Amino acid sequence: MLTILALGTDALAYAMALFIVCVGLSVTLGLMRIANLAHGAFAMIGGYAASHLTTDAGFGFLPALLVAILVTVAAALPIERFLYRRIYGAPQLTQVLMTIGMTFVIVGTVNFVFGPTLKSIVLPELLSGPVDIGFRSIAGHKLLAIGCGAVVALGLWVLFNHTRLGLCLRATVADAQMTGHLGVHTASINAVGFVLGVGLAALGGVVGAQLMPVEPYYALRYLMTFLVVVSMGGAGSIGGTLAACLLLATLSTFTQYMFPDFGDLFLYLAVILVVVAMPRGLLGWRRA
Amino acid sequence: MKRFLAAALAVAVLCGSALAGTVKVGVIGPFSGPFALAGKNFKAGIDAYMALNGASVDGNDVEIVYRDLPQPDPAKSAALAQELVVKQGVQYLAGFYFTPNAMAAAALTEPGNVPMVIFNAATSSIVEKSPFVVRTSFTMWQNTLPMTKVAFERGMRRVATVVSDYGPGIDAENAFRTGFAQQGGAVVDSVRLPLSTTDFSAIMQRIKDSGADAVFAFLPSGPPTLGFVRASEENGLKAAGVTLLATGDLTQEPDLAAYGDSALGLLTTYHYSIAHDSPENLAFVAAGRAAIGNPGDLTFPAVGAFDGMHVIYAMIAATGGQKNASVAVDAVRGMAWTSPRGPVSIDPATRHITQNVYLREVAKAADGTYYNREIETFAQQGDPGLMAQ
Amino acid sequence: MSWWPCRADFLGGAVRNPGSRGGGGARELVGFAAIGLALGLGYLLMPDSLALLTRMIALMLLVMSLDLVTGVGGVATLGQAALYGAGAYAAGIASARLGIGDPLVMLAVGGLAGAGAGLVGGALVLRGEGLARLVLSIAFAQVLHEAASKASGITGGSDGLTGIAIAPLFGLFAFDLWGRTVYWLAGSLLLIVLVILRALVRSPFGLACAAIRINRERAETLGVRTRPILLRLFVVSGLVAGLGGALSAISTRVVGLDSLSFILSADALVMLVIGGTGNIYGALVGTFVYVLAQDRLSALSPFHWIALVGALLIGVVLFVPRGMTGSLGALRYRPGAPGRRLR
Repeated sequence: MLTILALGTDALAYAMALFIVCVGLSVTLGLMRIANLAHGAFAMIGGYAASHLTTDAGFGFLPALLVAILVTVAAALPIERFLYRRIYGAPQLTQVLMTIGMTFVIVGTVNFVFGPTLKSIVLPELLSGPVDIGFRSIAGHKLLAIGCGAVVALGLWVLFNHTRLGLCLRATVADAQMTGHLGVHTASINAVGFVLGVGLAALGGVVGAQLMPVEPYYALRYLMTFLVVVSMGGAGSIGGTLAACLLLATLSTFTQYMFPDFGDLFLYLAVILVVVAMPRGLLGWRRA
Repeated sequence: MKRFLAAALAVAVLCGSALAGTVKVGVIGPFSGPFALAGKNFKAGIDAYMALNGASVDGNDVEIVYRDLPQPDPAKSAALAQELVVKQGVQYLAGFYFTPNAMAAAALTEPGNVPMVIFNAATSSIVEKSPFVVRTSFTMWQNTLPMTKVAFERGMRRVATVVSDYGPGIDAENAFRTGFAQQGGAVVDSVRLPLSTTDFSAIMQRIKDSGADAVFAFLPSGPPTLGFVRASEENGLKAAGVTLLATGDLTQEPDLAAYGDSALGLLTTYHYSIAHDSPENLAFVAAGRAAIGNPGDLTFPAVGAFDGMHVIYAMIAATGGQKNASVAVDAVRGMAWTSPRGPVSIDPATRHITQNVYLREVAKAADGTYYNREIETFAQQGDPGLMAQ
Repeated sequence: MSWWPCRADFLGGAVRNPGSRGGGGARELVGFAAIGLALGLGYLLMPDSLALLTRMIALMLLVMSLDLVTGVGGVATLGQAALYGAGAYAAGIASARLGIGDPLVMLAVGGLAGAGAGLVGGALVLRGEGLARLVLSIAFAQVLHEAASKASGITGGSDGLTGIAIAPLFGLFAFDLWGRTVYWLAGSLLLIVLVILRALVRSPFGLACAAIRINRERAETLGVRTRPILLRLFVVSGLVAGLGGALSAISTRVVGLDSLSFILSADALVMLVIGGTGNIYGALVGTFVYVLAQDRLSALSPFHWIALVGALLIGVVLFVPRGMTGSLGALRYRPGAPGRRLR
């Protein structure tokens, strides 16, 4: 029982770290209909920036986190302006290629700037050390990931369901043209959505760095996982993304405990089953 | 007349070799990617050796051709080795951080007539893949067996093993199992993880539940080891009464700062520590740190490369810069010298390095940096992995 | 000729496949002759790089197979390496574990294994739509990858499958370090596959596939049974990819897990798009350009070639959106030809 509880908390931490990154992708995909394979690259920029700030520039963790998010968004804006705008509404294959190309460029540039090695983010004592939570000791950064994930989930829920901006966002997801006719400046809405997605990617890249280490091929290595999550969750669905992350993380943690020798074999078999059984996403039945 | 002709021919051959000028050495290693630190150390070891011993042997300039292979990728390794031999015309293949890459390239040494000097890859059976393979690093059996003795002496009876699921990992598991059984202990759980694993929390839970009083671990130095040691600390392995034992792969010097005080006292057995106390090592560390840029990055693959260059220089001297793999390899069989790691020799039969293996513990220096302090020496260990077969 | 379940003659007029444009047999012959000439020139001009050229040809077969499902059939997949890797491992295992060293038999084994993987993978991938389809293709390749990694007793796992011994071709031509024999084997294989695929693309079966790609509902209305046709396309694609995998096993005598990796699948897609989709020739051009660029740029700057390749890709999407062969074709044919809708 204790084992299940302990593994459950590990799974929850992994799920939340994954969720922060993936929900950003889900938002951009749902909102802008862009198969944005460069999403992981933005998370990577955030991670590398935070690593540089904490190890070389002497920043504390929190300021580094904020600056890293700003840096990532600042880097992403010109990319949005000059590259993404050319592929809005383009066929999926074109978007896939363009964003894979961007991923390659970002991976190469980041490695050129920061050096092609594994990067660590210096954590304050509180986050790096083990914390006793009664039935087990757990790393502080995992608690941080859980907390951040919860805040992001809640924040997005409030944003989407209880603000005017959220209304516009949802309307744009549903029918961009119609929303435009109703007097909403959909280009700005798209920009807001893009910044939101990129910012979440950077946040996830930093907060989840202990679970998904910041390494030179980060953007490609976790791309698969991100795509699987968003596809299982259903594009644009926050609840679906959360459910997918929880399912995936639980599967991953428990199969690693029980069949460590088999790696991700059972995980991917499960993914196939879920996608075949629920092609519209985990919560797809609600939107069907 | 005949004698004159023969002499003239000999002179011509000698001149030819002297004039041949350049001997190329192809080095394959991870120069980018997650394991780039190892590649950096290869280069630092080579640069340090050439800085201390010159860049030519008897008038033959030594030129290093680097090829980047970031990950275990046997097919790419074979392709790179083929390109180096056929297109670049290298006389020696060297480097190799990962066993799969070394195994794949070893197949080319006989048809290509090139010796191959392994700077790191640690599976025992690599030297059997070709008679032209010489290794200046270590094997898992060599570094693991002393640890079984240490574990038993310190009262541990039930041990779990965790290794990466590839050649050296399986060697490490077998070595520990065999050695520990001879001592009289029992291995209660054995886990082989895929190389790509980065999160070890579930494994830590499994170890705690297995009822072991120690866990012996081997993973390739780099991101996996960093993650593993951290996870053991975060999941309270020590508090649960499980001691972590490992080969020195888990405590490579650049990672010690990231572990911090929590790793103090961590016991490892290994062939080399940067803190080894000898004049040869002092000279090597000074040259290596100058070559690598960031002094904190220097660690064990550099000494493998440094001694590997020593062997290659001896081979070049023996062949006069000509391409002749069997002469080159025969010349270094039984060769003995004092390496930065201590007295070493190349075993004439196995072409593997015989060396001291040290028991070390992670300690903190006066200036606040961490290092591996050697506390016990297991003198002149061969490769029990090959003897065991 | 009634083995494809459709009334292709109805479609012949409605669908103009890019592969069939300008359809003269003479032009086809010129194309094949040009490829043959290029193979000969490669042998003469780059005698030190035959291994690279052979690797290129193996990848060309992979990219051609991807062009079949994506360019001709319109099914986007990021798991094509599964079919290639199945062929590579099957051929490698036949030699290393079962002692079958005849290169032609190894090719046949690889092709069959690829076709089998194509059948299973295709059946799976065709169950999804859009992003789900992409994910199914990734997951299928990953399952094979993990299985190959686990079954190390047979496949060598992470250490790679070594010990592949190749008997001389026809008992006469040995496989040497310089890779001359395997180069000619690869070149001949490439030409044969190319001729067959060009014919396939222009056949009623190929036209039916194109019809499905361009407008699935319309094709169904006209009586094309889309799923069985696409599944057949996957089997043919698997056969071609499997041949490519087997060729790489013969050429390098090592099979590694990378032959099943996501990166290889993504690379194949990139090469296809650089070359241009849907006409088979694009696969050849794209692979040649990409592999050559990768080889040269990584030699120039081993640490950062990836950024340059990415820039190349962005450039192609922005300025040569139909790929190199597609855009060359566009100079001659009117814009708005069906190939354009592929992108």
